[in-house]
Amino acid sequence: MAYFLFRRTLGFVLTLLAVSLVVFAVMNVLPGDPALTILGMDASDDALAALRDQLGLNEPIVARYLSWVWNALQGDFGLSHSFRVPVAELIAERLPMTISLAVAGMLVTLVLALSLGITAAAQHRRAGDWGVMFLSQLGIAVPAFWLSILLVMLFAVKLRWLPPGGFAGWSDPVAAIRSLILPTVALALVQSAVLARVTRSSALEVMRQDFVRTARASGLSRRRVLWRHVLPNALVPIVTIVGMQFAALVTGTIVIENVFYLPGLGRLIFQSIANRDLPTVQALVMLFAAIVVTANFVVDLLYVVIDPRLKARA
Amino acid sequence: MRGLPANFLLGAVLVSVVVGIAALSLIWTPHDPQTMSISTKFAPPSMEHWLGTDQLGRDVVAQLMAAARNSMTVALVAVLLGGSIGVALGLLASALGGWVEDGVMRLADLGFAFPALLFAIMLAAVFGPSLTNAVMAISFINIPIFARVTRASANQIWTRDYVAAARAAGRGRFAISRDHILPNIAAAIIVQATIEFAVAILAEAALSYLGLGAQPPASSWGRMLSEAQTLMYFAPQLAIYPGLCIVTAVLGFGLLGDGLRDITDPRLVRAR
Amino acid sequence: MIELTNLSAHFGEAAALRDANLVIERGDRLGIVGESGSGKTLLALCLMGMAPDSARLTGRLSIDGQDMASATERDWQRLRSRRVAMVFQEPMAALNPLRRVGDTVMEPMLLHDGLTRRAARARALSLFEEVGIPDPDQRLRQFPHEMSGGQRQRVLIALALACNPMLLIADEPTTALDANVALRITDLLQRLAQEREMALIFISHDLAAVARATQDIVVMYAGDMVERGPTAEVLSAPVHPYTKGLLGARPDAAVAGRDANGKRRRLPTIPGSVPPLHGLPEGCRFAGRCPVELPQCATQRPVFTQTDVGRGAACHLLTEAHHD
Repeated sequence: MAYFLFRRTLGFVLTLLAVSLVVFAVMNVLPGDPALTILGMDASDDALAALRDQLGLNEPIVARYLSWVWNALQGDFGLSHSFRVPVAELIAERLPMTISLAVAGMLVTLVLALSLGITAAAQHRRAGDWGVMFLSQLGIAVPAFWLSILLVMLFAVKLRWLPPGGFAGWSDPVAAIRSLILPTVALALVQSAVLARVTRSSALEVMRQDFVRTARASGLSRRRVLWRHVLPNALVPIVTIVGMQFAALVTGTIVIENVFYLPGLGRLIFQSIANRDLPTVQALVMLFAAIVVTANFVVDLLYVVIDPRLKARA
Repeated sequence: MRGLPANFLLGAVLVSVVVGIAALSLIWTPHDPQTMSISTKFAPPSMEHWLGTDQLGRDVVAQLMAAARNSMTVALVAVLLGGSIGVALGLLASALGGWVEDGVMRLADLGFAFPALLFAIMLAAVFGPSLTNAVMAISFINIPIFARVTRASANQIWTRDYVAAARAAGRGRFAISRDHILPNIAAAIIVQATIEFAVAILAEAALSYLGLGAQPPASSWGRMLSEAQTLMYFAPQLAIYPGLCIVTAVLGFGLLGDGLRDITDPRLVRAR
Repeated sequence: MIELTNLSAHFGEAAALRDANLVIERGDRLGIVGESGSGKTLLALCLMGMAPDSARLTGRLSIDGQDMASATERDWQRLRSRRVAMVFQEPMAALNPLRRVGDTVMEPMLLHDGLTRRAARARALSLFEEVGIPDPDQRLRQFPHEMSGGQRQRVLIALALACNPMLLIADEPTTALDANVALRITDLLQRLAQEREMALIFISHDLAAVARATQDIVVMYAGDMVERGPTAEVLSAPVHPYTKGLLGARPDAAVAGRDANGKRRRLPTIPGSVPPLHGLPEGCRFAGRCPVELPQCATQRPVFTQTDVGRGAACHLLTEAHHD
């Protein structure tokens, strides 16, 4: 077991390292001259040279990489070119927003997808099943940003129940929650589609297994068999999918923040792209990629915790 | 026709419509999608402009058609490019096994850490946003997907008897991969490719919506939606058409892929 | 007491079970033998209310005097495990892999009998001892994958006994086990039935096991009950041609070695195979494979004829004999 943990953790760290390499390489090896980007085409050669020196661009590439990683581990992501404040500060400001959206989205997704999926499986070949299958197929095909626009048009423009976007701050909790309702719904609906299908097929697989028949023969009610025996066993492959869904969650959060003008990390990335603020973009991309990798790592561990058969093999 | 599953048929119909329109746009559109005419902006549907005009007086139908063409092209290139590299890597990993296989799968894991959006963001920050960057980004994420599917399927074929016979006869692994493995996994790859096509269409739309894909004046459903969002209060219909197109195209390819999978699934084939 | 009167199960037009008649009381040990497709498992499922939804049942099934024709799933849930219990064929995947076996066994007790956890655990412990699981205290906490096939089968038997049912149905309990273990399980089931004064239905195609464990036997073919009677009698002096064929086909029954011409004796088998449900012949379902061919066999379905108390068969040979 300890060996298994060690191997997995090692793999995790190595992957993170590789990710950082890729991010650094793409953003520092490929582009042109950042000094030129910042100062513009008319800057004098001296000014450019001075800025290059200041930004440490004359150091060898490996040294720059290592110092970036070293600093990042301590929470220093450099200075934002456009905002003129440490990137870490920018991130700290906007992190709560993104986390709130992501967590809320994930929770709603799980609740929706699991119950829909299990219900569909229980209603196999009947109306409920086809309904869920069709809706989920639709949900996968509908882009999150379009769904958001439709929701805004209905609830904000037509009915005026909810705000069309923006975020007033946490000081007014009711307003804050109201601002988050549509974004969370949009995020969750799209994500649930995939998860509901996976839940359904996983549950159907499990329902075919012998122990379900045994449970029924023991006089357990259909509902009990479904929720106490089928679902826990169906969760095993579902957990894997949820892990893979983190990439979609990250993408979804970034997109939704931009659709609804929410002041989170997703908006920040795009502002930084527009401002050619490479250090910020670099830090944010690294952060998001790290989240995806970490999520997969956690899922790997969770898998072993849930299924005693795997624990034995570990 | 009777034996084919419903999702395959429906998907085939939708796909034919979308691809047909995209192909048609190469030679004909009701109007030139770029022609602006401020005087006739926001025109309602009419015989002249079947779905009306947008905020710059451009014909909506023409734009949708041109966007369809772009969308299909991007998806095709991305899936072909990413797919071929991915399949090649997968075959290599499966044929050579050992540390090569481990290495390729590690690389694939690395690829999975980067959603297409993140990749496109990086490229956009560095090179500036463009359609080429979008295509690159979408191609990149297809590589690990195809590599994984190919390796998994190929691994199963390697254990089959006729492959063992070929190896015993002294056939090289490259020849076996080409003659035995590839034809047998072709079905799985095609199914995956169809599904990835749908994913690519969605990805291109999302990237264009965010401004990281097709740049003006090129048409894109995603960008049309982005523009329409600012005009929600004046012309809500402009936000509906492009979305419907995206859903139709993605749904079509998704159903087609599902249908293909049902048709080629060995378990179901035996039952029929 | 369980009573079946002309119970039939139809899937569309095809009758997978026809006119099954059975009376089961406490302490009865009945064997049901037949090939796969004979309807024996379907019969067992009917007794549990677990026949497939697509099966249309006719006839009468009454448990403790209650007519189950209008019984709902809820009604059946109350009976399962408490009055009728069943042990299925494949023990390998029959236990929830995520649960400790003790918890699985205790579940019906906690639900049906309303026992406290302590009482349930104590009963589970004694059940494990009863079914012959060594180290029961340890085993209660184990997961299914930590146990062998034979042990899992014992756990399943313990589970079936959890709420002291009146009837235990064992469907091919020994098929998936190796010979040694199979023998022990067979003896276990017989002992349990005797000690608990419980009715036992032992379904198998293993005639030797059935011979060990049962007092009476019913032979089934393609959904029909073709012969029944005390086990010893039926197995030593079968009346129905199918039963004779089954007995002749046993490897141990066949005479080994060579015959008068020096040719190796071949294992006598019943020619042909069981026809599919929709391809069954009119008249007697065994017609076409039967060594005896009376003119009425092809057109008339033989009526079950009693030759003695609790003894009889469904064959035209018997009615011919009576008419003589």
